[in-house]
Amino acid sequence: MTLKILLSVVFGVLLGLFILPMEVLNYSDLLIDIGLMLLLFFVGIEIGMNRSVFYKIKAMGFRILLIPFGVIFGSILGSIIAGIILKMPMNEAGAVGAGLGWYTLSSILMSTYSNELSALGFLANVVREILAFIIIPLVAKKLGFFEAIAPAGATAMDTGLPVISRATDSETAIIAFITGVICTFSVPVLVPLILNF
Amino acid sequence: MTTRLLMYLGVIILGAIIGAKGRLSEKLTKRLGSIQTACLLLLLTIMGIKIGMDEGVISSFLSIGYKAVIISIFTIGMSILSVMLLKPYVKGRNR
Repeated sequence: MTLKILLSVVFGVLLGLFILPMEVLNYSDLLIDIGLMLLLFFVGIEIGMNRSVFYKIKAMGFRILLIPFGVIFGSILGSIIAGIILKMPMNEAGAVGAGLGWYTLSSILMSTYSNELSALGFLANVVREILAFIIIPLVAKKLGFFEAIAPAGATAMDTGLPVISRATDSETAIIAFITGVICTFSVPVLVPLILNF
Repeated sequence: MTTRLLMYLGVIILGAIIGAKGRLSEKLTKRLGSIQTACLLLLLTIMGIKIGMDEGVISSFLSIGYKAVIISIFTIGMSILSVMLLKPYVKGRNR
């Protein structure tokens, strides 16, 4: 799947660079909007089908929600700090961090705002996912199990989950899953909201 | 942008309600996965086309890559730090 994703982007870039006429841009935003709605509808279905998460949160106590809150808050704050260093507008830097590692959706959400930001959002969140895979076992060993959930962000419910599960214990894996679901729900809300600031 | 945000939220909530009711047949849910993938890949191609047609992005690709690495390091670092600071408040689960 990762290969397909990368190939689609590269294929698109090559089409745009060498083959397609500029007029295509007149329709691209409309196509993105329609496709995005469809995609978000499916994301919604997936969240709805995972409703057992709500019972798990209830069983574990609502304070468990501090973990996803920390992951989201820290990610946005971190990207804003990086943005200050890189002399980027605060809303743009914050929106990249609000992608929470979900590079496909966050970059698409930013593509109607600016192509450069969309490319940055894609790359920054791809790098985040790759770095997460590398450092999760290390963080789990040196800092703690809860901290090991943080690098994964939204991917803690899918691609990041096996890594977290192997590096921690079953209880942390459940919390990681809950964190991933909440992050997943937050990305389509937070990215446009922060861009709007 | 606000209208867009509300539309995004509305569509997700609509999907969540349909998903939670659990009335989707297994056949359909399986097919939904491939529709979702096709949709995603198409969107990414369109995004790629937009990027490819933008000379500014293509000419500054290296600087975008550099920014991406810096941002990702800070997002990961601060998210770990935030969880570390909040951990004592997650009741009875100090580790």
